[in-house]
Amino acid sequence: MNDKAKIPPIVRLKYKKGELIIKQGDYGISIYKIISGKVRIFSESGDREIPLATLGRGEIFGEMTFLNRGAEARAASARAAQDSELEIWHPGRLSTEYAHMPHAIQYIVRQVLERLIRMNKLVAQLTAKKQEDAKKPAKLEEPGASQRRYYRKKMDIECIYRPVGSSPKLALHGKVKDLSMGGLALEVRAKNALNFSHEKGDKFHINMILPNGKKFAVTSKVLSTKTNPTLGTLFMGMEFSDVSEGDGRTLGFFMRA
Amino acid sequence: MAVDQQLYVYVLNEEDYPTNAVIVKEGSKGEWMYVILEGKVKVKKNTPKGMVTIGTLNEGDIIGEMALFDAVVADRTRTASAIADGPVKVGVMDTDRLLRDFESISPQLKGLIKTLVNRLRDTTQRAVNLAMG
Repeated sequence: MNDKAKIPPIVRLKYKKGELIIKQGDYGISIYKIISGKVRIFSESGDREIPLATLGRGEIFGEMTFLNRGAEARAASARAAQDSELEIWHPGRLSTEYAHMPHAIQYIVRQVLERLIRMNKLVAQLTAKKQEDAKKPAKLEEPGASQRRYYRKKMDIECIYRPVGSSPKLALHGKVKDLSMGGLALEVRAKNALNFSHEKGDKFHINMILPNGKKFAVTSKVLSTKTNPTLGTLFMGMEFSDVSEGDGRTLGFFMRA
Repeated sequence: MAVDQQLYVYVLNEEDYPTNAVIVKEGSKGEWMYVILEGKVKVKKNTPKGMVTIGTLNEGDIIGEMALFDAVVADRTRTASAIADGPVKVGVMDTDRLLRDFESISPQLKGLIKTLVNRLRDTTQRAVNLAMG
């Protein structure tokens, strides 16, 4: 007996508004096509629902688990956002077709799928973070500033810098806009970022001459970046990751002065 | 070579790119698909707040697959830039043969793959908007 033969390949079902169609974490490889109505796709994180998409007539969902050969549980839930009629494809025949698909197409589909799974996770994380941030009362700038461990000095001095790991001969130009015992703010031409990565987490060696005439060299890690398209500048908030004892003294002396 | 042999037979030509060279430029037209034979590639997208890296690709990974599934040739606009992260060797894939392969499968399966690709395009854009917003 072949079980597959008993299952009709396509059935139509009606869902009332609010009814759950797919539950995240369940195993199932059916594919759904919306005949009428609307379906909301969302990811569940704790007791929160993170909306991912709202789909309408003619659109397909549930295809990811199928294309993943049921290797993983449903990555998201689906709920009828209106009374909806769906076509449910039992993937028996499609599975056979998939297995016979040219190898190169399978290879590409697998990569697209992996990228999509990664992007979905990222969207869920970023949305959760955004919801969390929205809950927090807006912080006032001033108390934040007073909580800073270090006093900051505003300045505008030229410096040369280069990415950690690059040739020591390389000298990019920038301006140090403020300095504290823990870090600095560096402003550079945005075009510098076309040739070398200037992103959060990147490290740079920075050399400058302080307004008191002392040389100061430090390795810093990028904490935040902000571009100003009008001025064509890139502003980076940086934290010192490596300060030699001598340079630490130079800086301490300058900051106290 | 770590690249899948059954994929390597689709490689028409090999190209070398130096560090930071642009292999594919976001917004440009193009239908070639590449497979990375050696090295690493950064995938970046342009946003109002500057370029943002959305992923790093390694040996065996493909570049430019989205354009392949756009039925209308005129719509084949690159959705992201691919930039060499160190010296890179890529294989230029036989797009005609891949398209013939794609056309050989059933309409239902084709529909699923197109859904998947569109989903990746939309989700990537959403992730970028969320990260930069």
